[in-house]
Amino acid sequence: MTLPRRTFLRSAGISLALPWLEALATDPQRPAAGATPPPRRMVCICTPLGLHPDHFFPKEIGKGYALSPYLEMLKDYRDDMTVISGLEHAGMGSSFAHQASASFLTGVPGAGRPGFRNAISLDQFAAEQLGARTRFPSLVLSGEGAGGLSWTRTGALIPADNSPSKVFAQLFLEGETVDVQDQMRRLEDGRSILDDVSAQAKTLRSNLGSEDRDKLDEYITSVRELEVRMVNDQSWARTPKPKVTVPQPQDIANTADLIGRTNLLFDLTHLALQTDSTRLITIMLAGSTYAPPIPGVSLGHHDLSHHGKDPAKLEQLKIVEIETMKTVSRLLGKLKQSQEDGDSLLDRTTVFLGSNLGDGSSHSTRNLPVLLAGGGFRHGQHLPFDPNNPPPLCNLFVSMLQRIGLETDQFGTSTGTLTGLEIMSG
Amino acid sequence: MTNQQITKLAISQTVFLLALFFNSPLIADETLAGHRDFFQQHCSTCHAGANPKGDFDLKTLSANFSDKQVRVQWLTVLDQLQSGQMPPEDKTRPPSNQLKAVIDWISQGAAKAEAEHRVTQGRVVMRRLNRAEYANTVRDLLGVEVDLADLLSHDTSVSGFDNSAEALHTSSYLMRSYLDAADRVLDEAIANESKPWQIKKRFDIKQEGTVKSTGSVYRHIDDGVAIFASWESANIRVTMWNFRSPFRGKYRFRISAYAYQSQGKPVNFHVTAGTLKEVTEERILDYYSVPADTPTVIEFTEQLEPENRIRIIADDLPALPPMVEKIGADKYTGPGLVVQWVDAEGPLLESWPPPSHKAIFGELNQEKMPTAKYPDWREVVSEQPLVDAQRILREFAGRAFRRPVTDAEIQPFLTRVTNRMESGYTFEQAVRVGLKAVLVSPSFLFLQEKGELPRLDDFALASRLSYFLWSSMPDAALYELASENKLHEPEVLRQQVERLLQDPKSKAFNTQFTGQWLSLRAIDATLPDRTLYPEYDDSLKMAMLKETTLFFDEVLTQDLPLTHFVASDFTFLNERLARHYGIPNVQGTEMRRVALPAESHRGGVLTMGSVLKVTANGTTTSPVIRGAWVLERILGTPPAKPPPDIGAIEPDIRGATTIREQLAKHRQVESCSSCHREIDPPGFALESFDVVGGWRENYRSLANDGERDSQGRRVRPGPAVDPADVLPDGRRFQNIDDYKKLILEDKDQLTRNLTEKLLAYATGAAATPLDRSQIDAIVDRVSEQGHGFRSLIHEIVQSPLFQTK
Repeated sequence: MTLPRRTFLRSAGISLALPWLEALATDPQRPAAGATPPPRRMVCICTPLGLHPDHFFPKEIGKGYALSPYLEMLKDYRDDMTVISGLEHAGMGSSFAHQASASFLTGVPGAGRPGFRNAISLDQFAAEQLGARTRFPSLVLSGEGAGGLSWTRTGALIPADNSPSKVFAQLFLEGETVDVQDQMRRLEDGRSILDDVSAQAKTLRSNLGSEDRDKLDEYITSVRELEVRMVNDQSWARTPKPKVTVPQPQDIANTADLIGRTNLLFDLTHLALQTDSTRLITIMLAGSTYAPPIPGVSLGHHDLSHHGKDPAKLEQLKIVEIETMKTVSRLLGKLKQSQEDGDSLLDRTTVFLGSNLGDGSSHSTRNLPVLLAGGGFRHGQHLPFDPNNPPPLCNLFVSMLQRIGLETDQFGTSTGTLTGLEIMSG
Repeated sequence: MTNQQITKLAISQTVFLLALFFNSPLIADETLAGHRDFFQQHCSTCHAGANPKGDFDLKTLSANFSDKQVRVQWLTVLDQLQSGQMPPEDKTRPPSNQLKAVIDWISQGAAKAEAEHRVTQGRVVMRRLNRAEYANTVRDLLGVEVDLADLLSHDTSVSGFDNSAEALHTSSYLMRSYLDAADRVLDEAIANESKPWQIKKRFDIKQEGTVKSTGSVYRHIDDGVAIFASWESANIRVTMWNFRSPFRGKYRFRISAYAYQSQGKPVNFHVTAGTLKEVTEERILDYYSVPADTPTVIEFTEQLEPENRIRIIADDLPALPPMVEKIGADKYTGPGLVVQWVDAEGPLLESWPPPSHKAIFGELNQEKMPTAKYPDWREVVSEQPLVDAQRILREFAGRAFRRPVTDAEIQPFLTRVTNRMESGYTFEQAVRVGLKAVLVSPSFLFLQEKGELPRLDDFALASRLSYFLWSSMPDAALYELASENKLHEPEVLRQQVERLLQDPKSKAFNTQFTGQWLSLRAIDATLPDRTLYPEYDDSLKMAMLKETTLFFDEVLTQDLPLTHFVASDFTFLNERLARHYGIPNVQGTEMRRVALPAESHRGGVLTMGSVLKVTANGTTTSPVIRGAWVLERILGTPPAKPPPDIGAIEPDIRGATTIREQLAKHRQVESCSSCHREIDPPGFALESFDVVGGWRENYRSLANDGERDSQGRRVRPGPAVDPADVLPDGRRFQNIDDYKKLILEDKDQLTRNLTEKLLAYATGAAATPLDRSQIDAIVDRVSEQGHGFRSLIHEIVQSPLFQTK
């Protein structure tokens, strides 16, 4: 019996829409220039230990707000960004405030609690439809371990790349001819193997109870997704990689070096977007227990985030977070300076910076710090919401998805788009 | 606002909340009819409406017990009602008959639904191998040790363990990692080149550039090099640049050294390995001690990746480099370490091709097939490729799947191999494709817990047993017993548990279980403040970890009462750790069993440096965190999580207020007190131990600039520690010793806790209330056997809970 796999997936009870797989399978090549609207991109960044609210949020609302100490670092981009206050993801709590980073881009309530099951993250949702257009459907980066921000539709964590030098090599360095042939062969073998094991899984499936079937279906879906990714890889393997003039970065071994490592990730982000290697990037910044090597900082970053209003700790925390904001400024600057068809790259890239923590000291998961830059939104204001009755952060996600060209009006716990956030005409 | 107004407001809010509650699905549920009043009167005021307390909202709860999520929530309600924590003390108590009726309704409803569920689904969902299990399994399947840490990331931990079946997900990214990992292990297992050349050489330390006689702290003497200082940050160390591992494999090292000018005393050193290019690429192998004046050979074998080197670092020498330099290394008379030579041999090969190669291909011949890139390339060849391929795949899949395989099962793999050969692949390259498919197959990656539900068949039982005690696949002996359908026989199972525990592979059980139960994995999560705790370093850390794992092993091996985990009259120490604990007469780097003096305040895991370290944040201790840890890990009565948005207690190292003063306010508030009277007492008892597990009478505070204590540290004594407190039931204790005695009074509870932890670890699913009667039965039997820990392992394995899916 040979059924088209898609039919099989459906009959196997997998009701997942896999539009990007379809897209990848049928049209792995990038659309010809000019034939489509300008490429839209999205970068999502999380600072896992929060950003001290008193130093982040402006006191005034609307257009004429005075820059807070942190926003002062971004003053050159005042008209390219919107500060948003009051938002939160529902169903988080202080006892699982750190675990809430799992839901940062998914919005699934109850992160960290028993029985919690995550769902697809914003970037992967977008990658399902846009991923086929670039060599890499998305990049999932982290400044520390393998824990990033991106999750699959079945709720599995996508391991994050934390080695800028390796990612750089994947993006820009060609192997030897022999290696490319070898790679093609490995891809071909890999696809055959996946074909075989998914047939095997199908046989196994018939003897299982429904919960075991769910597990096996997750396996089958994973296999199917990988097969299609490999088809994509095969087609791209014949296309030369883009050339860049900068040298391959050297990784920073010191995991506490928040600023050094963030800069490497941001530089890579800029290069990946500029070369259109991918259009979707998530970045989990480091949140180390150790003291970042910054003059004037002697205490561990996590310890500092639990400042308890101790002025000495707050002062050190401010140093760390100001340096972090400077890295963001550097990223925005690079994106703004890069041109593409007469637009700045920043205008075509939505940069979302936020945290799962509203206040690191009290472990609050409300009133999250949110900064939205670029992407062609009408910027320049502080957009406040009532922290006691806020719209879901997922509403902003819907606005972001629409901005990058997805026809969707729902994501996670959203109830609509974010009111007050407008798109520039044109 | 007047009091009256407040009351009115409160009433109107209550009415409002009740109104919401009536609209909830729960109330609409017919099955609830008999208990509606109960929830209305005693629960809905707080647990409904816009801000339900404790993140628990009755509105979201239905009475559909067959929904697992719903059931879990009801069981939480049940716990609260049974323990009497809800309704809170200051609220009206429900009449006992009503309470009982509700408790019965919940427990029966949940039990019925779960029992139905187990008949069709079993207790544990299909479980994927986690990272450690995968690595151990390929090691035992193929006989290779390959570092896969960069390919496979950590698994999520649920219910305290990272082998929880439910939480082990699969993604396309993971599948790609499995494909890459399969390539890496097959490359390692299969020999494609001629026998690698082996190093077997004595390295003369005098030839090492790092210890030039002209340099500062080294003196070249007739038979070696003397090192006179311990100061790693000034690069005082012997790096063996002349040695480097050419290939991955096991290497044997022999270091000849002795203590020099040490007045008859031994001198310590440690050895590290890695590429040594970055601090993160250097790992400590072990600590050693050599006697005075007698050259002594230290021998060890280590698995090395290619391009690795080793380094020798002298420990605890009194001099800093400037002091030696001032006198001159040639005239210095203080103690030092003399290293004479280092023998290095490896990679150690049993045979060539290696056993891993033969395990796949048997005695098939190899032929040279040189390529431009690999002139020495050779591959296995076959005269009857189809027959050989089938035999190889069948044999390999049978071991990899941990059960017999049918011809039909391996047919697709075989077809693929044939197809590859037809399309021009060599025999070996084609077979490799088949082998790789086996390694990413669901039958390999998942435990197939088959059998006639709910009982596991003997093959599934063999896997459950070996993954429990070895974190790896069953060996040939287990496989054979399963083939003979004998494994499930109680006496056979008992013998096998003994055999598995005696095997060196059971080290995995110790590491994985203590790593998670006692949080030892988190030992590096924080770095103690160097100014406040300068005594903490790698040598102390290693000794702390060894103490706990050796102690765990001793309790297990000797079948000692598991109460030893709370209080014991012995522990494992070396000189360094003994000094840290203030216990006299322990010399040298080697860990050994030591009888504890009466006033040591040590014994049991609670007072071990490792546990005290992982339950502190590096700068300060918190009775709340340590107390909650004790309740969760040792007593098995985890406290409720704090309400959302509660402020954290702020540590204060300036010495102004103590944590007790800060917490006292906390315990005066009723809503805090209900939990904190449970949480805080063990935490207070442990306040006598600082963040690195040292005993303290006073908190350690930072001294002013220039001020130093007798040991030259920039610290001064802060406020006195007060470890006394009272348990919720009114029993008082003065200190940790008293506290331990109090909790030892309920040995069965300690046993129940460990039973639940072990069960979760052994089966991949946390205990539920439905398991309670069987857990009680285990506890009773272990209690009859004097609470022996090894007896507990046996009873768990003998239990139907372990032997069913």
